[in-house]
Parts: sequence; structure tokens; C-alpha cells
Amino acid sequence: MAHSDMRGFLAAIQSTSDLITIDDEVDWDQELSGLGRLGCERNAPSFLFNNIKDYPGWRIACNPIATWRRMAVAFGLRPDAPVPELYATYAEREQHLIPPVKVKDSRCKEVVIPGDKVNLFDLPVPMVHEGDGGRYLGTWDLVVSKDAKSDWVNWGMYRFMVHNERLLTGFPRPTSHLGKMLLEGYVPQGKPMPIAIAIGCDPLSHLAAAATFRIAGNESELAGGLRRAPVELVKCETSDLYVPADAEIVIEADVYPDRVNQEGPYGEYPGYRSGEMGNAICARVRAITHRKDPILTLDTTGFMDSSATTTSISGAIAIQRRLEANGIPVKAVYVPPEGGVHLAIVSVRKGGAHVARKVVETLTVRRALISKVIVVDEDVDVFNMAAVLHAFATKCHPANGIHLTRYVGRANTLTPAYTQEERVTRTGASVAFDATWPPDWTEDATPVRATLDSMYSPDIQRRVLARWKALGL
Amino acid sequence: MSKEYEIFARHPERVVSGQEVVLTLRDLSPGRRKYRGVNVRAVVSRPPRPGEPTLWIRSVVGLRDPKPCSVRIVEELPEAFEAAPYSDFFEAMERAERR
Repeated sequence: MAHSDMRGFLAAIQSTSDLITIDDEVDWDQELSGLGRLGCERNAPSFLFNNIKDYPGWRIACNPIATWRRMAVAFGLRPDAPVPELYATYAEREQHLIPPVKVKDSRCKEVVIPGDKVNLFDLPVPMVHEGDGGRYLGTWDLVVSKDAKSDWVNWGMYRFMVHNERLLTGFPRPTSHLGKMLLEGYVPQGKPMPIAIAIGCDPLSHLAAAATFRIAGNESELAGGLRRAPVELVKCETSDLYVPADAEIVIEADVYPDRVNQEGPYGEYPGYRSGEMGNAICARVRAITHRKDPILTLDTTGFMDSSATTTSISGAIAIQRRLEANGIPVKAVYVPPEGGVHLAIVSVRKGGAHVARKVVETLTVRRALISKVIVVDEDVDVFNMAAVLHAFATKCHPANGIHLTRYVGRANTLTPAYTQEERVTRTGASVAFDATWPPDWTEDATPVRATLDSMYSPDIQRRVLARWKALGL
Repeated sequence: MSKEYEIFARHPERVVSGQEVVLTLRDLSPGRRKYRGVNVRAVVSRPPRPGEPTLWIRSVVGLRDPKPCSVRIVEELPEAFEAAPYSDFFEAMERAERR
């Protein structure tokens, strides 16, 4: 059973020993995020900080689904469910979208702070890393926006930084759905764009917000599908937007169509602080609502943070769907969390240079978040990185097996390999490493893998496995 | 304790030129409002001048220059700069500087 709110999820991961509660005072200024950061790097349990310096009555939950165990619990599965099972669960549930329901009563409005009383410094917004541009409120959020010309409502997960008591700056990329709505719908009319930043919702709603989802698709329906139950939504205080009714905190704001301010730098999900600052949006807060005893959620962004798992699963399924739609004979896709959402493994039923090139071109048409794709034959298990690395190292022709595509205006500005100039112009490249056998090679000339299952007769395999078992191995 | 600020600069040499420049300062005073941003027109001095608040300069990747400066705030500016979303923030500051 999936969880209807953050508190239910925290109780569930506490029962599986995947949550550590800390009652001693911890500083919001780097100390608690340092603990969270180390937790990501060591695959440790999540933390719930109950006693935050300067902020009595507030709590912070850290890295909600940064491990596969916690992701499994979020899905309502046993915590040791293997990764392919999580992928299969996501892929099955995303096919059955469930629309949200609107409600009148909501726990996210137990406390309502109108605009003239808003002070963002009353929230325990953490300083996540030493040297960040400021304190980051939106690290594990769900940002709601609405298209100016249609009924399309977008949920996205975007970072937001506190500038002063009422001003936020944020980094939904211009190529993001929110960025598209802002630039095409509101900026030309000089109108502010209402947004609502929901913090501390149920984990699958955040997973849906972070997911790669189709343009004009409503992620609240995806969240319902992943939860197998509709999300309850309540209307905002200052706009016509609707937010999850059980969110811990909701920040209602207007994005300026004609103002900017400093945003970043910030240590991001690829595992670096790359200096992408100077390219953001600016929003003025109009109201804050929250539950009693609120819990602010924090993703201690960096190597192996929550986005590593969320994008691993949703990004891989989205890649698979897109490749299928473009006629590529894809069998499976894996986005390894260790790759910082820059690497995808794609297995295909029929490979070769043409297929590898088509894979990389298909994945970079609109925006290019993945910069490296390893294409393998279908007999390679994409989840088995040892097998993938073996195929890559041995089957990718060093001269002919690398397929490069370059682009301007849609590169991932967070890619650490890019220069500062490339970041500003969003200029980049992606590459496919073709680790498949050329389709014109005949079977009698194709190298045979020197493994038990490939280079031995079925009879020998049977005898070896029987003896293996008899040896107690 | 004397007041301390930090800034993030793409071209630090511009900031320490001795001319009036537009900056976004981050207030490092301890407490709930630590890291509050304020936009100002100011003059930066290196080495620091006695009696002025200390200013630390960080690069665009957040690394702090170990050599301190001081800052004299000439005037406080509006809380945001006029420019379309996603405009280059550093260029927006330079435009404000020329006004």
C-alpha cells in the first residue's frame, strides 16, 4: 500500500530500520545537511531531525527516497525488492493514470500566513553546502504551475533559494516544462506566473513531479497511478492552483516576467557545483501555509542523492518509451544512479551503428540531459554493471563505435564537463557507445563470449552446475 | 563582532577595481537571517579599510578567495534587477551599474 502523506511514509521507513530520528540539536547551517550528504555517500538510512537550532517546533526530513530500499517502501513493496522489480512496478503503474480529486479540507492549511506576514527566515531553510549561493528551500519539492493558454497543469521538482524575507530565486531550466510555460505564456504578456511550491508530500507525488513526463501531461495523474489511489488536491489561498492537501508546507508565489536576481551556485545532482549561476527566475511569495509541527523535506543534493534513484527509474522508463515510439528495437533501459543522471544503458534486440546513432539522436531532440549512452546487445543484462562494463570495454570499436551528436540551446547546463561559456549558451554534445556486434557480421565470424553459459555445451553446463551445488557453493 | 558579507563574482577583478559597482551581498551575521541577500551599489577595497565591513569574494563555483576585502555600501538597490527571466544575472548587474 502506498502512503498518502510524508508522515505515513516516515513511519513506514522507521519500521524497516531505514529512518534514524535525531532529537539532539543540530544546526541548519551545513551541519544537518552534512549528515545527510554523508548518508547519501554511504547508502545510510534517512534522517529525521527533531531539534533544529534557531527553529523550535520545526523538523527536517532528509533524503526521503535516496536508496532503493526506501524507494521500494514508497511503492508499498518489501524493502529488499530488487531494482528490476521497482522498474517493472513503475512501468506497470504509469500505464494506469488516476486523476486527482479536489477536496475542501486540508492539513496543509492548518496554519495560514498571508503575504504581509510572510518571512522566509521563519522557516528552517538549510544551508546545504559550504559555498552555495544561499539557503535552499526547494530541494525536494513539487512545484505547480499552469499553462497560460490551456488547462495543462505541470508538476516539477525545481530548486529554489531564499534571497530575502519574501523573495525566492529558482532554477527550473528554460527547457523545463515550467520554463516553457513561463517563456511562452507569461513573459510575452508581461504577466506574473503563479506557482505553488509544495514541500513534504507523499513520496510518490514527488517522484511523479521529478519524472520525465510528456508535455501537456499532468503529473498529478501520474502520481495517482503510481500510488494506485487519487491524490487529494486543495485550492491555493492566492491563486487557482491546486496542491496536495497533505503537503507539509506550501509556498505560494508569483514568478516575475521581468526581474532576475542571484541564484546559485549550488552543489547539484551530477555531484558537482558547476557554476551554472546567472540564469534563473525570480519569485515573490504571496502566502505560506503549513501543517502543525511541520516537517521540511531536504534532499542533500550531490552524488547519489534522491534524484539519483528517482531519475534512474522514471528517466529510464521514459527513455524506453521514447525509443520504442521511434521504432528502435529496445529491450531494456537502465540509468545507473552512480552516473549522476548522465549515463544510460540501452539494450537492443538488433544493434549496429545505425541503431546506436538513432538512439542518441532520439534522446537529444528537445533537451539533452543524458550525455552518454552505452548500447548493448539484448543478451547483456542492463542492470548488471559488470556485464555492461565488459561489453563496453570489449565490443565498442574505439574508432568506429562512438557516435557523437552536438547541439546548441538545449544542453544540460549542470554537466560538469562543459565550460562556463558552453553553460551560458547551453551548447553541448551527447555520445552513444555502440557495444553491439555489427549486424552484418555472420554468426560463424562473431566472437563467442568465454563464459560458462556461452562457451560450453548444455551437457557440460548441467554437470558443472550440479557439481557446483554438491560443493555447497 | 564586525559585520561580514560575501559575494559571488564572475570577474573578481571588476569588483576590486576601486570603482562603484553593483553587488548582491550575502549577510553572514549569525542567526536566522544569515545569508540574506541585499542588492547594493558599493565600493570594494583590497586590502580591507579599517572600520568597513569585511567582504569575501567567492567564484562562480563557490570557492572563497582567502584574501579579504572590505565593502562600503553607497546605496541599497531594489530587491531584484530588471531583466527577462533567465537573463544573465551578472550582465543585469552591470546594466544597473551604468544607470
